[in-house]
Amino acid sequence: MARTLQGLQNKDGSWRAFEGDEPDGSWVTALAVIALLATGSEVSSLSRAICWLVGARGREASWFCRWRFQAADKSVRFDPAKYGWSWVPGTTSWVIPTAFSVIALRQVRNLGINRTAAVTERIEQGVSMLLDRMCPGGGWNAGNGMAFGVRYSAYIDATAIALLALAGHETESGVRDSLTWLVNRLPGCPSPYSLAWGILALAAYRNISNEASNALACATNQLTSLIDRGVGMGDVCTVAVCALALDAVEGDNVFEVRS
Amino acid sequence: MATSKLLPEEMLLRDRRQARSQVAILSAADYSEGLADSFTRVLSMFGLSLRHKSVLLKPNLVEYIAGVEVNTNPLLVTAAAEAFRKLGARSVVVAEGPGHQRDTYLVLAESGLDAQLRGHKLTFVDLNRDELIKVPTRANYTGLDHLWLPRTVLESDFVVSIPKIKTHHWAGVTLSMKNMFGIVPGTKYGWPKNFLHWKGIHRSILDICATVPVHFVIADGVIAMEGNGPLHGTHRSLGKIVLANDPVAADFVCAQLMGLNPNLVWHLDRATKFLGNGSPGRIDMITEQLPQQIAPFNVLPEFAHLRLRPQTSR
Repeated sequence: MARTLQGLQNKDGSWRAFEGDEPDGSWVTALAVIALLATGSEVSSLSRAICWLVGARGREASWFCRWRFQAADKSVRFDPAKYGWSWVPGTTSWVIPTAFSVIALRQVRNLGINRTAAVTERIEQGVSMLLDRMCPGGGWNAGNGMAFGVRYSAYIDATAIALLALAGHETESGVRDSLTWLVNRLPGCPSPYSLAWGILALAAYRNISNEASNALACATNQLTSLIDRGVGMGDVCTVAVCALALDAVEGDNVFEVRS
Repeated sequence: MATSKLLPEEMLLRDRRQARSQVAILSAADYSEGLADSFTRVLSMFGLSLRHKSVLLKPNLVEYIAGVEVNTNPLLVTAAAEAFRKLGARSVVVAEGPGHQRDTYLVLAESGLDAQLRGHKLTFVDLNRDELIKVPTRANYTGLDHLWLPRTVLESDFVVSIPKIKTHHWAGVTLSMKNMFGIVPGTKYGWPKNFLHWKGIHRSILDICATVPVHFVIADGVIAMEGNGPLHGTHRSLGKIVLANDPVAADFVCAQLMGLNPNLVWHLDRATKFLGNGSPGRIDMITEQLPQQIAPFNVLPEFAHLRLRPQTSR
């Protein structure tokens, strides 16, 4: 698998969104790095990818775009000085690609593959972006927590992935609130995809949070029941996330960032 | 090349407008299984040739918010499917790629659409994760010379846009043309298809609708949305469903039913130049006429200019 991934890597170190896509880097790059780290790939194959990730940033990183958001576009509430990663180059930062990138770079740093100031700075910038975009009351929507004066509600997968990226930041009240939101949202969730992401996050917090630990068992039972009945398992992505979640319950969490 | 840049985009496009378009307004006080019979009756008035054709229904499925009619109503979607089956369609599938929510199945299940589809043995395709094909754009409002689009959509013989009639905080309205944003895959363009937002929502709508023909529209206005749509507006009991064989004509009539001026919605105005009909003189209203009195929908302040005076809806 690692060899296949390396074969699909762009010259600049990034990955396309899918085979055949234009050779621009995309959000998939962070996932590819996480996958290569999990398979214990050679460090040399990761260096270009890390370099690309460190250099990639949401459009609001440019002063003009930041000025435009601050001066003219008041409909969406966020601090454009806190930027992360975009889905596609040339667009603004969003929660999920930022969280994936933070996870990838934190793992790179934890493993001692790259502990440069540039990596640390990008991690901190990404963390600050995630904390800034949180929904009032906890959790994350796709992007901002408020727009047009309306409080957006959180999504399970975005919240879980952001919590995975923010593991170790439990002193932040927003992180604790988001974990509580997730714990309360998962019971009765009818979708294996969201449940699996929830389980991955709960597994990453089970040793420091009783509520996460207690919720993990229930969510796992829910997920296995849905899998047994074949509910909502219609695509490869869902099957893959479910497999990773069940691995995480057993102690092997591919998105773990605690050193 | 230099000359072409000086000309309005639509002057460079092949005129695909029909000589005349047909629009039917159907009154419906609520959602029920009985809509299937009403649709079958009204659809038969359009003289559609659906025998042996694969039909793709594209509802508006955004996300589930308890108590809020955000999405095309599930009963309306399955009623449309049953009607197309009765008219001889070889197959009917329902397909959508939600813009914000990556867990499409969660929205399907919580909105009740999944149960409805199962009850009617209908297949659903998540367009965010479908196989993609590179397609040259058939207009150039965004500057993109191609789009990556789902195979399921491209291989369907007959595409039906089934929007929820709503106001929209960026585009003014979201109707059958804006609804086609949902065929654009998140895998490639991100959630919420942010790449195309940066190219301009109106421009993207035009490129998408020029590239993927919408053959028919069934617009859900039984309970519509006004104010801060498409997610956080308030319900408006319009009690109307709009059926049309031209998305531009459908959207013009829908906007008028909302008491809004379609000519001031940029993508609708441009679409009348090459894609479909907006002029009342080229639209045959085959059932009800537009009501004489329409109280305009509430809109955000930046769209106040769209509101028609109550007596001048037509």
